Amino acid sequence: MFNLAAEDVTKTFREGRETVEVLKGASLHLAPGEVLALEGPSGSGKTTQLSILGCLLSATSGKVQVAGKLVDATKPAKLQAVRRQHIGFVFQQFNLFPALTALENVEYALNLKGTAGDEATRQARELIARVGLADRAKFLPRDLSGGQKQRVAIARALAASPSVVLADEPTANLDASVAAQILDLFRELARTEGRSLLIVTHDPKVRRVADRVVHIEAGRIAA
Amino acid sequence: MVDLGLKTLLHDKIRFLITVSGVAFAVTLVLVQVGLFVGLLDNSTITIRKLDADLWITSKNSPNLDFVHQFPESNLYRARAVPGVARADNLILSFMQVSLPTGAEETAIVYAMEDFRRWGIPWQVTAGNVDDLKRGSFVMFDESASKRFGAFGVGDYREVNGQRLKIIGTSREAKSFTTTPLAFMDFRRAQELQPELLGGKTSYIVVKLAAGANVAAVQAELQRRLPYNDVFTSPAWAERSRGYWVENTGIGFNAFLTVFLGCLVGVVVVAQTLYTSTMEHLKEFGTVKAIGGSNLDIYRMLGKQATVAAVLGFVLGYVPAQLLKPVIASAGLKLIIAPEITVVVLVGTLLLCLVSALVSFRKVASIDPALVFRT
Repeated sequence: MFNLAAEDVTKTFREGRETVEVLKGASLHLAPGEVLALEGPSGSGKTTQLSILGCLLSATSGKVQVAGKLVDATKPAKLQAVRRQHIGFVFQQFNLFPALTALENVEYALNLKGTAGDEATRQARELIARVGLADRAKFLPRDLSGGQKQRVAIARALAASPSVVLADEPTANLDASVAAQILDLFRELARTEGRSLLIVTHDPKVRRVADRVVHIEAGRIAA
Repeated sequence: MVDLGLKTLLHDKIRFLITVSGVAFAVTLVLVQVGLFVGLLDNSTITIRKLDADLWITSKNSPNLDFVHQFPESNLYRARAVPGVARADNLILSFMQVSLPTGAEETAIVYAMEDFRRWGIPWQVTAGNVDDLKRGSFVMFDESASKRFGAFGVGDYREVNGQRLKIIGTSREAKSFTTTPLAFMDFRRAQELQPELLGGKTSYIVVKLAAGANVAAVQAELQRRLPYNDVFTSPAWAERSRGYWVENTGIGFNAFLTVFLGCLVGVVVVAQTLYTSTMEHLKEFGTVKAIGGSNLDIYRMLGKQATVAAVLGFVLGYVPAQLLKPVIASAGLKLIIAPEITVVVLVGTLLLCLVSALVSFRKVASIDPALVFRT
């Protein structure tokens, strides 16, 4: 049983009159509690693979399973439902809402995922405390350091307990010591809560916390 | 629930101020223009509404209150003989020349009756007694005439159509559509001043019905007995007079054009600021989609932003429009912002702001959630 599985996924884009095949039959699997690092040079298809696994894009062919269920990519609403229930995202640029406090950023994600009112506030407080930012809960993103922003982003990704967390270059904008703390946090989340983590990265430090490292090159995955 | 739309709107205070100011400006423009238009139309029929008559007998095909032809005053006796008529009287409305102490001449619209008190005009007498008009060469002017005639007071004399008349009183709020000042004098005095035009003639016969009389039946009978006149109910005559100014002069089109331009300004400002804001927050909207939000969640957010801008802009536009009332009154004009107009402008502002948000809706619908990975 895998939390996330991709079988022979291809993706082509049209660029003018040309068709570009970005993914050429990529397959990978993530078990519960597993941390997988996906490495590859620029243009290798990492982000496209991440977008398809995160149900942000639909594959041209192949199958994607999330939480044991085949993803029906025929309708955007079905992809949205999978994202809402099963997937959390952590972005390189954090992508926090600048008008919301750290707590509100997390609470808003909970609201979108169907939890409202005092219960959402309570869960948001727990998540913010879980990433060590209880004393910064009322701060706006502009008043937080890069590492603190990424912790808020991780807390937001954990809203509504997704089985899969996908992270895109989560340490790229952080200094070495803060990056190490963030990676330790990822490792702990996977180990203690049984979530599957896929980290797309160029950063060799990620290998330290990864259970497996896979390479992608020219749209093909090589173990 | 965390209100991302409202918090984002208030987060960027300068943009929020520009949006609300644009709406407020448009609201003020529309309220003032419509209020002035309604004020002018109100003036055009105020004597019809204030005069205590149920029916007006006019010359054939008279277009409005001020543009009349005279007809024989003896028609009055035929009108009085109709069953259901409690009382009827002649009313003269005529333009006369008033010589001013400066040597200049101005025009006044003269209302002349035998018994003003019985018909309730002028309805606001601020000095003198309207019953005295029949006792000599007397005249009453509306206070608003001082703007054109210069200062005057009770006891002063003015020459009207070459005859010296004593001012024995003043009225308030008796105005005309063209802002030509109103004057009141005895019926026979008016005929003396314009014997060629008014000798043996009247401009109107005003009719008060007996209690319980059938308006339509009396109107039909009057029309039958006076085939060379028209007979209107007071509301119909007021409507016809208003309609003339709206349809046959540029004022209706002018008001429409200004209201249209006001709305356009509002729509452009709100649409432009909302769209710019949407473009700047595109990645945030992409994030909303990535973490499980739908287009509908974002539409709601934009809709709320447009609604807040509309309501706040309306309030900030309504207040200056009200504050302008005394300024406009000092220029001799009337600004009427009726509750129903206020409601229409509020609803219109809301709708236009929501329509403005549609441009942003289209952009949001096309957002690729995968843009969240782009740096």
